[in-house]
Amino acid sequence: MNWFIDTFRTSLGKKLLMAVTGLGFLGFIIVHLLGNLTLYAGHEGVFNAYVAKLHQYEALILVAEIGLFALAVIHVTTGLLLFLANRSARSVRYAVTKSGGGRTVGSATMPYTGLAILLFVILHLSNFTFADVTDRTMYDVVAATFSSWIYIIVYVAAVVAVAIHVRHGFWSLFQTIGLNHEKYMPALRAISVALAVILGVGFGLIPIYIGIIV
Amino acid sequence: MSTKTITLTLKVWRQNRSRKKGGFEIYTARDISTDMSFLEMLDVVNEDLVLSGKEPIAFDHDCREGICGMCGAVVDGQAHGPLKETTLCQLHMRHFKNGDTVVIEPWRARAFPVVKDLVVDRSAFDKIIAAGGYISAKTGGAQDANNILVGKEVADKAFNAAACIGCGACVAACPNASAMLFVGAKISHLGLLPQGRPEAKTRVQSMIRAMDRLGFGNCSNETECEAQCPKSISIREIARMNREFVKASFS
Amino acid sequence: MLSDSKVPAGPLADKWDRHRFELKLVNPANRKKYDIIVVGTGLAGASAAASLGELGYNVKNFCIQDSPRRAHSIAAQGGINAAKNYSNDGDSTWRLFYDTIKGGDFRAREANVYRLAQLSENIIDQCVAQGVPFARDYGGLLDNRSFGGAQVARTFYARGQTGQQLLLGAYSALMRQVSTGKVTIYPRREMLDVVIVDGKARGIVARNLVTGEIESHAAHAVVLATGGYGNAYFLSTNAMSCNVTAAFRAYRKGALFANPCFTQIHPTCIPVHGIHQSKLTLMSESLRNDGRVWVPKTPGDKRRPEDIPESERDYYLERKYPSFGNLVPRDVASRNAKEQCDQGKGVGETGLAVYLDFADAIQRDGKDVIEAKYGNLFEMYEKITDENPYETPMRIYPAVHYTMGGLWVDYNLMTNIDGLFAIGEANFSDHGANRLGASALMQGLADGYFVVPYTMGGYLASNPMEGVDTSHKAFDASRKEVSDQVSRLLSINGKQTVTQFHRRLGKILWDYCGIVRDDAGLKKALEDIRALKEEFHKDVNVPGDGGDFNQNLENAGRVADFMELAELMVTDAFYRKESCGCHLNAAYLTEDNEPLRDDKNFAVVAAWKYTGYGNEPEYYEEPLIFENVALTQRSYK
Repeated sequence: MNWFIDTFRTSLGKKLLMAVTGLGFLGFIIVHLLGNLTLYAGHEGVFNAYVAKLHQYEALILVAEIGLFALAVIHVTTGLLLFLANRSARSVRYAVTKSGGGRTVGSATMPYTGLAILLFVILHLSNFTFADVTDRTMYDVVAATFSSWIYIIVYVAAVVAVAIHVRHGFWSLFQTIGLNHEKYMPALRAISVALAVILGVGFGLIPIYIGIIV
Repeated sequence: MSTKTITLTLKVWRQNRSRKKGGFEIYTARDISTDMSFLEMLDVVNEDLVLSGKEPIAFDHDCREGICGMCGAVVDGQAHGPLKETTLCQLHMRHFKNGDTVVIEPWRARAFPVVKDLVVDRSAFDKIIAAGGYISAKTGGAQDANNILVGKEVADKAFNAAACIGCGACVAACPNASAMLFVGAKISHLGLLPQGRPEAKTRVQSMIRAMDRLGFGNCSNETECEAQCPKSISIREIARMNREFVKASFS
Repeated sequence: MLSDSKVPAGPLADKWDRHRFELKLVNPANRKKYDIIVVGTGLAGASAAASLGELGYNVKNFCIQDSPRRAHSIAAQGGINAAKNYSNDGDSTWRLFYDTIKGGDFRAREANVYRLAQLSENIIDQCVAQGVPFARDYGGLLDNRSFGGAQVARTFYARGQTGQQLLLGAYSALMRQVSTGKVTIYPRREMLDVVIVDGKARGIVARNLVTGEIESHAAHAVVLATGGYGNAYFLSTNAMSCNVTAAFRAYRKGALFANPCFTQIHPTCIPVHGIHQSKLTLMSESLRNDGRVWVPKTPGDKRRPEDIPESERDYYLERKYPSFGNLVPRDVASRNAKEQCDQGKGVGETGLAVYLDFADAIQRDGKDVIEAKYGNLFEMYEKITDENPYETPMRIYPAVHYTMGGLWVDYNLMTNIDGLFAIGEANFSDHGANRLGASALMQGLADGYFVVPYTMGGYLASNPMEGVDTSHKAFDASRKEVSDQVSRLLSINGKQTVTQFHRRLGKILWDYCGIVRDDAGLKKALEDIRALKEEFHKDVNVPGDGGDFNQNLENAGRVADFMELAELMVTDAFYRKESCGCHLNAAYLTEDNEPLRDDKNFAVVAAWKYTGYGNEPEYYEEPLIFENVALTQRSYK
């Protein structure tokens, strides 16, 4: 196992961890969106039915949750280690910095959007996953949360952060695992944008839809 | 070629060899012909400094043809200045306007300590190459050159990577001071050629570890290296290195 | 008389083989007992250091730049010759040998040149094995092109960056030896003296350019691979740090300097633009494969090139040399460009340029083909001049590029000082009075990979020597001499900068010891140089101190040596009462205005010995004996 640990001690090994765990999150978040689309159904029954269905697979969910938690630990700690290493690699900063055209909002803010997402996830879990649903439905919890302006703003902002993170993270993970080919990279970059928009709009409209429109 | 002259204000990083800290000094570059190169402009400023009894600005330079990789400074926030695919020595003053203020800083990276003023120590790059950036071909032991067939496409790709001049602009431009473009270019160059395959596995492993040891940052795919590389080395070389690393580590 | 060139007897083709057999060998187990210093990390230095390290010697390798990869070999564009005959167009070792000897106007040693032609093939094999990405055809075989002065396609190339790729190959071989511990690199060091103990070169004194420290390094032999001295002219295509100091300090210690006046002036450079120009940029002469050189027929014609009709253009190279046309050797092309400009037909703002026109080639082959061949050169031209050569002809003018002269060496590439070797451009050996295109890379690598590793063994095995370390009094004396010079330069405190002096020196050499020379001019040059030298030592201003990174101080030392070298160059040019190759004395011309050799009196190597500061050098002569080629009048008509 020495070789295994040794591999992930290197800078590239850590990058690989980021890429693979990031991909895991992306898979999760897409499934999460698909489920949440039931909120747009127009009446609460559909969403509550989806929640009920989900709870039939208790064991599976537990496994998924443990998996996600592990992913989070790896993604966050590795990300932090890389972030700190990168900062110390340039001990004296430039007086003037100007992009040569490579940087994007996404690439420049990965650690920050990442951190914002982490904080949001904690909030989100306490809002919903650990919410008390003994005498109300999950839909009630959602509706109650988004009756507050503050929650609407926080959720929309967080979703924007996710979109920005994914916009850079998606094509970037392919680059990191070594899949960059002039034929396919333009498509991967386009998918990055598409994913960001889909996730952003899909999740971002939920608070607005539930809180304001319904 | 329409020659005219311009006058610029320079904010130049000055740092004594013995001191850890430096600071900016302001100079005026007068009557600079727009046909001059950036380094010739610095020559003029330095001649004035010498004649007025001051110490000239130290900067590295050698071939002044854009190939040796010796020159380089961050000019107005960009490695080798504002012109794409151009080393500082090939940047001509026609790209500046009369009255401009130009900020000139050395490459900044922990792995490239400042020697003096704009001069930095890039020996870390040599150490990375010594870690495996070669093909072990004994002098005299080679077979006939045409016994190794290399398709034109592959040869061209290898050349694109081999065009790296080792100037360090990628490190300077990278927000993380990462050397992955430099390392990726060498690994690609050698790894693409059939001659380089036998050592591909050990090469990528030891070069990456050397790079890590020397205190360079990590790649976060900001692609500033590619954007500011004077030889437009592509980040595909980094991807190829990553691929080689995955192959080498898990097989 | 200097006769001991140690050229082995026997038929030309067998000499090297036989010599290698006759050279004594150092037992592999004993090699680690020998330390060798190699100064310079260009093609010659890096390949020598790598190969010697691989054989098992302990090598210390010095370079002036921050990394061995920066040496100026890196800027060679066009290619490297080899007699592989991959093009099936009649090339052979003999033809490469003959072309080189003839191209050098019969002023090189036959045996050395033949060996170079023989080794050329091994070089290509070696470089390919190292991963040099030479140009290939679609089937995967190596591609060749023809180059100035040759009628066969024997030049191997890697786009317009052959020198870079070859140097990176040698550099990688070098770094491999660094990783094994057999070679240690000393970057940012400038060799300032060679230390001689009991008549043998036993070390060097170098200045650490970062700390200013004067360091001593002892060894069993010293190899100088320190390049040429074209920068004596101030403006040249050489890199800024190219200098003669290492070779010149060896000369001061008694090494002979051979043919110092043989300076190659390259015909295709970007013309000078202004007084602050720091160096000239070469445009590979491969451009002459497709570009056509011309000037307007009428002197003073200031029309734009596009407005000058075909009938009013003079394609003078094609007119005068119908069989070689634009591909005549460098000296011929340079001389003709100057002649046209002297007649007032020069173009551009300064009138010191001729056109190199690609319009016909673009029309014939299409822009894509031309771009594939010369794209990077065209870009470079446009970057510098702000003109697009796809649309308007390039303007070119000759510039100092390479020096055929250098330290005198025997067949073993050893100078007349035992244990002091000189390889690559630093020696005089293989190019005679004119070097053919794509031959410098070949010579550098042949010397470093395949000659010095053998002859070094021969020297060490047949010269048992005592151990010497840097505490020896010879090192003390050298160190003192060097630090005295440093303090002297710093204490002058005059009013003129080093560059101002250098520029003036360059102008004297260019005007009187450049493309065309004559006795009156050379005499004047000698006086002017001496006066300038005096002025320099009274009025130069070198700021800063010696214990620091001080680029002005480095330069001052180099320019001081250039001044003395310039005297030697002019003296040599004055001595050689003939025209040959690059050395054109206006008094010695054929009826066709071509250089007129005097084979009876000057088929010789003129070697000079230092006799003290300000004294006339002593003349030594090595007769050149041609047993295998007939000395003909070079004709490219």
